[in-house]
Amino acid sequence: MSFLNKLGIGVGAGAGGSREVPRAMGGSGRPRTNSPAPAAAVGATRAPELRESSRVSNGLKEFLWNLDGLGRGTLLDLGPAWQTTLSFFIERGFRVSSEDLLRAWKEFLVEEEGKLREASGRAAQHTLDVTPAARAARFLEANLQYPNSSFDAVLLWDLLDYLEPLVAKQLVANLTELLRPGGVVFAMFHSKKPEGFQRYRVVDSTTLQVISSPVLCPAQRVYQNREIQDLFSRYRTVKSYVGRDQLRESLFIK
Amino acid sequence: MWKKEDVKSQAVSENAPGIPAGSPVGARSPLREVSTGLSASSPSSACISQGLRIKGEVTGSEDLFLDGHFEGKVNLSSGSLTVGPNGDVKADIFAREVIVRGRVDGKIVGREKIQLWSTGNVAGDLQTERLVIEDGAVLRGRVEIETGKPIDKHSEARGAAAGTSKGGVVSVSSGSAAD
Repeated sequence: MSFLNKLGIGVGAGAGGSREVPRAMGGSGRPRTNSPAPAAAVGATRAPELRESSRVSNGLKEFLWNLDGLGRGTLLDLGPAWQTTLSFFIERGFRVSSEDLLRAWKEFLVEEEGKLREASGRAAQHTLDVTPAARAARFLEANLQYPNSSFDAVLLWDLLDYLEPLVAKQLVANLTELLRPGGVVFAMFHSKKPEGFQRYRVVDSTTLQVISSPVLCPAQRVYQNREIQDLFSRYRTVKSYVGRDQLRESLFIK
Repeated sequence: MWKKEDVKSQAVSENAPGIPAGSPVGARSPLREVSTGLSASSPSSACISQGLRIKGEVTGSEDLFLDGHFEGKVNLSSGSLTVGPNGDVKADIFAREVIVRGRVDGKIVGREKIQLWSTGNVAGDLQTERLVIEDGAVLRGRVEIETGKPIDKHSEARGAAAGTSKGGVVSVSSGSAAD
């Protein structure tokens, strides 16, 4: 069994499920459903409908409060490049870098799978080190290549829940280097294994749009309070807000 | 069972701006292109079609449609460049307007506007006055919006709509809020 399958990520058409997730968004802060569930069946050539709802985000509010008065700050958004999120921060004077790290992780795993298949046909000295540590190192060598202390703020979203624990740990360590002293990380953690896969974009200074999306990677781990604190032990301040939808919003200040 | 509501909602989703990456090109109807405000370059533009592989430098002031494999540098001082859905470009691009529907690896300077369609995938920094990103587009790089230009009011309205409903396409112009 390939490690992609072990991680629950299929390759090709079967891909771990690009299933439309029926979301029973119990609602964190105060979720407001913006669009009803799609009623029409979609054909193979049609894009799947993405369901959206909004949630009031105290974490975002606090995140912005911490960045207030920064002037021309630098932000690293590790989610998808949403127009609304980019607009929101650019119009507030930020220089924004965007890198959809979860998509990169999935692509990386697919590449690794290919390399592994190639290596299996070759001599032993060409075999690939597939230990989680080696894989984490390879992934982070190919991604997040920025100079140290480049950013004032990082939008990490709920990325850590979906990465292998070793990758998550190394990622947090790398982000800490990329942040300037006083820099802020906005992260989210699911308090229980998420039923579906969702992505987030900023609507306004207190509201996030939650978009149910086809599963990119299955959730790997539910972090407990203590584990989160350990991951971010180099940060001087940690603030958390738990919503009714079991989503914990956390702020980490370096 | 057939329901009237089903037909209605299908029609609505046809117009919805957010089509994720991987949607076939054929799925784009002219109606949809109008509704999203995304425009391709004029049909009379020069074309490097799918299957062609070119290495080198392209300079000029005409529009160019690039749907093949290109490696080098593109400089269209007053023209627009459209990277088609099959386009694979490894180049720094400088043009008046750049539309990305395929893959670009390199820095893009679109003096007036850069558009990333849902099938677009860019690894490189973007520098422009106005940026339009459709849902599903992939961007890995820094965004720099040049200041000093008035906001596109039409885009602003679309931006507000995107913030509250289907997401999709808005325009970023620095200096004032679009949400």
